[in-house]
Amino acid sequence: MLSFTPYENPTYFVILGIALIPLVIGLLYGKRSHLYETLVSLAFLLLTFGGPKWSTQGVALVVYIIFEMLLTWGYSVYRKRGQNKGYIFYFAVILAILPLTIVKVTPAVDGGNNSLIGFLGISYLTFRAVQTIMEIRDGTIKNFSLKIFIPFMLFFPTISSGPIDRYRRFEGDFTTVPDQDKYLKMLGKGLHYIFLGFLYKFLLAYFFGTILMPKLAHTAMIHRGGFLDLSWSVLGYMYCYSADLFFDFAGYSLFAVGISYFMGIETPMNFNRPWQSKNIKDFWNRWHITLSFWFRDFIFMRLVFWFMKHKTFKKPTTTSNVVYFINMGIMGFWHGVTWFYITYGLFHAAALIINDAWLRYKKKHQDSIPHNKFTEYFAIFFTANVVCFSFLIFSGFLNTLWFTK
Amino acid sequence: MGKRLFQIFGPLILAAALVLGIFLLPGHLIGYTANKKAQEQAAVSLSPSVLKGAGLKTAALDDGYVPFFGSSEWSRFDPMHPSVMAKKYHRSYQPFLLGSRGTQSLTQFYVMQNIQPQLKNQKAVFVISPQWFVKKGVDKAAFSAYYSQLQTTEWLNQYSNTKMDRYAAQRLMQMPSAKSDHIVYAALERVAKGQQMTPNQKRYLGLRQNFLKSEDNFFSGINLPNGNLKKVDQQEKKLPAQYSFSKINQLATDLGKKETDNNRFQISNSFYNHGLKQEVKHLKGFQENLSYLQSPEYSDFELCLDQFARLHTNVLFIIPPVNQKWADYTGLSQSMLKQFDQKIRYQLQSQGFNNIVDLSDKGDVPYFMTDTIHLGWKGWLAVDQRVDPFLTKKQKTPTYHINDDFYSNQWQQTTTVTN
Repeated sequence: MLSFTPYENPTYFVILGIALIPLVIGLLYGKRSHLYETLVSLAFLLLTFGGPKWSTQGVALVVYIIFEMLLTWGYSVYRKRGQNKGYIFYFAVILAILPLTIVKVTPAVDGGNNSLIGFLGISYLTFRAVQTIMEIRDGTIKNFSLKIFIPFMLFFPTISSGPIDRYRRFEGDFTTVPDQDKYLKMLGKGLHYIFLGFLYKFLLAYFFGTILMPKLAHTAMIHRGGFLDLSWSVLGYMYCYSADLFFDFAGYSLFAVGISYFMGIETPMNFNRPWQSKNIKDFWNRWHITLSFWFRDFIFMRLVFWFMKHKTFKKPTTTSNVVYFINMGIMGFWHGVTWFYITYGLFHAAALIINDAWLRYKKKHQDSIPHNKFTEYFAIFFTANVVCFSFLIFSGFLNTLWFTK
Repeated sequence: MGKRLFQIFGPLILAAALVLGIFLLPGHLIGYTANKKAQEQAAVSLSPSVLKGAGLKTAALDDGYVPFFGSSEWSRFDPMHPSVMAKKYHRSYQPFLLGSRGTQSLTQFYVMQNIQPQLKNQKAVFVISPQWFVKKGVDKAAFSAYYSQLQTTEWLNQYSNTKMDRYAAQRLMQMPSAKSDHIVYAALERVAKGQQMTPNQKRYLGLRQNFLKSEDNFFSGINLPNGNLKKVDQQEKKLPAQYSFSKINQLATDLGKKETDNNRFQISNSFYNHGLKQEVKHLKGFQENLSYLQSPEYSDFELCLDQFARLHTNVLFIIPPVNQKWADYTGLSQSMLKQFDQKIRYQLQSQGFNNIVDLSDKGDVPYFMTDTIHLGWKGWLAVDQRVDPFLTKKQKTPTYHINDDFYSNQWQQTTTVTN
């Protein structure tokens, strides 16, 4: 039986292109057939999770979806009765993230074995589910419906690695049809995104990741023995890995957004020229945007409000600094329970705190600190290098460099 | 709407039509234009793309190059290296080096699939590395690096239901690269079971082969690395203008002495400095429990023998030694190496492969090896002493009698053979 990882090769795109033709024609004439969309989605979910992967991933996906469905639906029924107990809400959120937590912790406690309940994309589905529960509590989602929730969770173009859409935004697109002029623009944009994705993922990421990176890794391993086993090759590896990470993930995200546009869904973009960021905060507004905004809206802001409400800390800056650490620590932990992912998260927390402090200092001393074209370029250069260094930590290569024989 | 749709999708459709048109043209219409320089580069490039391709190899082999199958030893270019010797003394043969770090019997079997006409009733050289014959056999990642869909489709398009083909299919299915094309995988499943492929599979493989062949014709000559050819030209200059065994022998000793003076193992200085020096204290005794006696590699190697026999290729096999000083330091068992030699020789000789250059007892000859396991100066010269007459003089036609028992697990696991 056919089996693919999404967007892995030309065959996948050819099959996808053919499957989308009826859908595109329908949308051009102002018709959206949920029946056909469901069939296409099912077919592509089967291609991704069926066949040889059915027993290792497919079953886990089905069980997971039923679980989250019952949970979210149950919570929405509870809220519709006008009840709003805090502990019920916490309990629902904890249950919603429980499967993901098990999947992330299992390899760390079970000698590197993967959990049986994991499948490709479980993180991204969890983000969508938790977000829905939180908004049901807020009352911003009033008419929760499984008819929206299931297609939202299982929207196949974004199932494996995002971008992370929001329930209400998705609902708006999914229940309407863009007018012809707008849809034609979306088609043009979508196709452009897909081809830009080809350039990113199949040319640039291939060059950096598959051709250059192994060579740099090899020479770096040979030149171990100096201070912290460092060498020029480690520096080269750092930049090469960063380039690979960006082009691979941005390429993938472009595919996901492009295909969404073809289906008349304006999935939000994930990257916005991150290498032009002026500071680390700016960077997180441009890099993996849907993830960092998710963390901002559903972890950072909520924790800040909670601490302020309970007057835990006297100074607002202390509150935000503590929350940075919690927020980025969770993000690091989410990538996996290894020292380098968690260090990566904490490193970014520290960078954000230092950045805030610097901006406050700069504001106070506006007259004495120069601001010109040169300082702007320097800021961009400096930020990019801090980010690349954090990616070196993230890559786990230091782990290989230091702790393998 | 039509106009705007055309503006959006027109270029895509045009590009798709062009690509399809070019690749679906029958391969011979594009043809491969071989140029001598590219052949010379390709013959010593050791590049995976040359190994995986077809056009360059076949053109060169039709042009007087002789296939030299092997692995990492080919990258040890010194003046006595077969490619350097053949070039310097204008031998009637020029080696086409096939293989590189990580290529083993299974890869070589598939490499043979698209040079069958060039092997038929011809001669070849084959270096057998004892290090291939480890417990797990060929490393899956290394096999993937040299995996060629073109070779697989060419093989499937001409396979016959024999033990060789069934076994080759079985082994390929154990490799992750076989799963890269699910139709090929399904075809392999049938071949492994001894069934015919379905008509659809055959049609697909025909198209696929055509496509891959066009791709190969287009791209195989592009961007050939020429670093190794430069090395050959540099090394060549060190040789005396007229061939003289005693002069070259002396040169081998001198070079060996000069280039191995920073360590006690007679390992070349550059190899030693390049990562071994720091590790050496951890490596004492690390090969104590290593054995080359039980390995799936024995049956993979049988695939090569079987294929040679079917094509009546006359092959000179070379069995290199292990650097004795290194073996002693790392605890590699000499008796195990001796048993390995017996076992591999039994597999060769009992099936009629009698052209063997067995160097396995030369590990203690000074400057025979360039590093831990690879032939160098004196070793290459010893090889040349046998390769040159083998390829330039008329040889007796061998008669082979292939024994399918060498595909059995029992043979893979046998540790002692009595000749």
